[in-house]
Amino acid sequence: MAGAPLLVSASASAPPVTRGHPVWRRLLIAGTVVFLTIFIVLPVVNVFTQALSKGVAAYTEVFTGPAADQPPRNLAEKRKLSTRRAQSEKTASAIAMSVGVAAVVVPLNILFGLMAAWAVTKFRFRGRLLLIALIDLPFSVSPVVAGLIFVLLLGRTGLFGAWATNFVWPDPTSIAWRGFGGGWPIGFDRFNSGIIFTPLAIVLASVFVTFPFVARSVIPLMQAQGTDEEVAALSLGASGWRTFRFVTLPNIRWALLYGTILCTARAFGEFGAVSVVSGNTDANDTMPLRIEKLWNEYDNQAAFTVASLLALLAMVTLVLKTLIDWRAARSARRDTGATLQAGPPS
Amino acid sequence: MSIEVRGISKSFGPTRVLKEIDLRIETGELVALLGPSGSGKTTLLRIIAGMEHADPGGGSVLFDGQDITAQGIGDRRIGFVFQHYALFKNMSVFENIAFGLRSKPWRSRPDAAQIKSKVDALLDLIQLGSLAQRYPSQLSGGQRQRVALARALAVEPRVLLLDEPFGALDATVRRELRRWLRRLHETIHVTTIFVTHDQEEALEVSDRVAVMRAGQIEQFGSPQEVYENPASPFVFQFLGHYNVFSARGQVADAPLSAGGGEGALTLVRPHDVVVSRNGNDRDAIPARVLHVGLVGPLVRVELERLDRKESIDAELTSEASKELALKPGDSVFVTSRHEHSFEDYSI
Repeated sequence: MAGAPLLVSASASAPPVTRGHPVWRRLLIAGTVVFLTIFIVLPVVNVFTQALSKGVAAYTEVFTGPAADQPPRNLAEKRKLSTRRAQSEKTASAIAMSVGVAAVVVPLNILFGLMAAWAVTKFRFRGRLLLIALIDLPFSVSPVVAGLIFVLLLGRTGLFGAWATNFVWPDPTSIAWRGFGGGWPIGFDRFNSGIIFTPLAIVLASVFVTFPFVARSVIPLMQAQGTDEEVAALSLGASGWRTFRFVTLPNIRWALLYGTILCTARAFGEFGAVSVVSGNTDANDTMPLRIEKLWNEYDNQAAFTVASLLALLAMVTLVLKTLIDWRAARSARRDTGATLQAGPPS
Repeated sequence: MSIEVRGISKSFGPTRVLKEIDLRIETGELVALLGPSGSGKTTLLRIIAGMEHADPGGGSVLFDGQDITAQGIGDRRIGFVFQHYALFKNMSVFENIAFGLRSKPWRSRPDAAQIKSKVDALLDLIQLGSLAQRYPSQLSGGQRQRVALARALAVEPRVLLLDEPFGALDATVRRELRRWLRRLHETIHVTTIFVTHDQEEALEVSDRVAVMRAGQIEQFGSPQEVYENPASPFVFQFLGHYNVFSARGQVADAPLSAGGGEGALTLVRPHDVVVSRNGNDRDAIPARVLHVGLVGPLVRVELERLDRKESIDAELTSEASKELALKPGDSVFVTSRHEHSFEDYSI
């Protein structure tokens, strides 16, 4: 699901080709429907039926913990309850980790993606084509290899190993208000050291893997629009920021949103790279890693429950993507002046 | 605001697009940069605007005697109009024109009421007051270009630069809009440079024309000057249709060579060609009529010289053609009313 250029989707409203034998048409449609049913609809339905196989209460228990409505009657039950509680705490922490990682990775990649797209489309320089190829690199590298690259670079024996193992960074969840007693009014209470096998490594790996989405969806559009509008804004005395905010950004907003959504979906779904750099500790689990662990522990219902959350996210993504395609096609039509005869906008 | 360009050169990779250009434009002038594509006219305009930087080493651009070579586009206070308008698609006509005013630093930024009155005045100037809330896509090409012009004028630029402003418009709108530009310039008198490859446009609109060729200015003068006294065969040829009456290497069998001697090139405009039934003049060239076509009040006659089998185009008034009653195949004699001879040339 590489970021398809929006310009292509803008022409999706072109009339379909209706020539050809009707039998062929029906066969092709039927084949597609059968394929989609077997490979997409059935698995998704299966995910939800498995997740809800023990009822809604069991579904929510997976991440909220068992309800303590009645006290355990004996030691065996008490032990069972505490295991279930521990499991659900791990799952909840995995969900929090995924949300946290995405919350850092997506804004970073919006920033990097825009910068890269801007550099590549608004300037001409030596090595530009090489840079465009490099932007695509994370798509062509296996995520496991990507994770391994980070381990080999930042691991204890890696190229930057000595520096990376002693690298100290604040735990963002430990942010605390210190008051104006001196020094910074806001500080951190806890610090982590090292990069590999910490959440920082998960962020780095996710940034690498999801980098192309924003850049790829924005570049074709920026390329097609050229630089005239920006130069015009600059000639009118606008600052660089104002030019970006009021001229460039409105022109690419749908492509940017599209890329952001794809980037978010991938940041949540990434398994390979994250699996390599997370160190297989429960505290560093993201949702896909947690699913694997639950599955290996034969807790199918819990595994499918977490999977169903990802499936829900995918479905929301799909709806948003369709909506954006539709809006982008509409605004593209408006921009090219297809509605010349239309009256003033209401 | 006078503009002066001194010794500006520009290369893109190995190709030299501009070669040591010198140009001086007086305050309030309307100047056309005229030339075929690839002559460097747009590059020169973009260097004056500050969008491109000239090759390092010597060359400079001066506004009112002040060196602004190092200034960026935002500091030069120029108004630039693009061939394809470059209007802000996501803003209404009103917002497009107001953009420059809203972009000023807050100390010198006019308040909302001042912006409104200024934009309304500009909308009146471009006669689009009723379309203020439309979006660029809902306007015709001519209307878009007028909005682009108003947007550039809103910030009261010292210099107005137009890059093929009418290039993307159809013939009727073009003619209308260039008259309008001429009138506009008479009312606001801002120093204006516009780039065009249409010689008719350049001659009709501008005070002075700079004819460019291969990165150099061939001639810079008033439209009358460049038309009547072209400095080179190139200028003559670029400014309209022409016939070659004699050229180097063919002098021996050229019976008609007025003015020029050996190795000269003699060029004649179609409307200066005189066609007659009898060859009284000893310089007259015998020719055969190939085709007679009517173009409005003029009759365009295609002839073939009998001696060199070259074609000659002639434009006759309808009276003259009635008198002659030419038909294809007729034998006639050709002389010229007025001709231009060039000693040293290279085409």
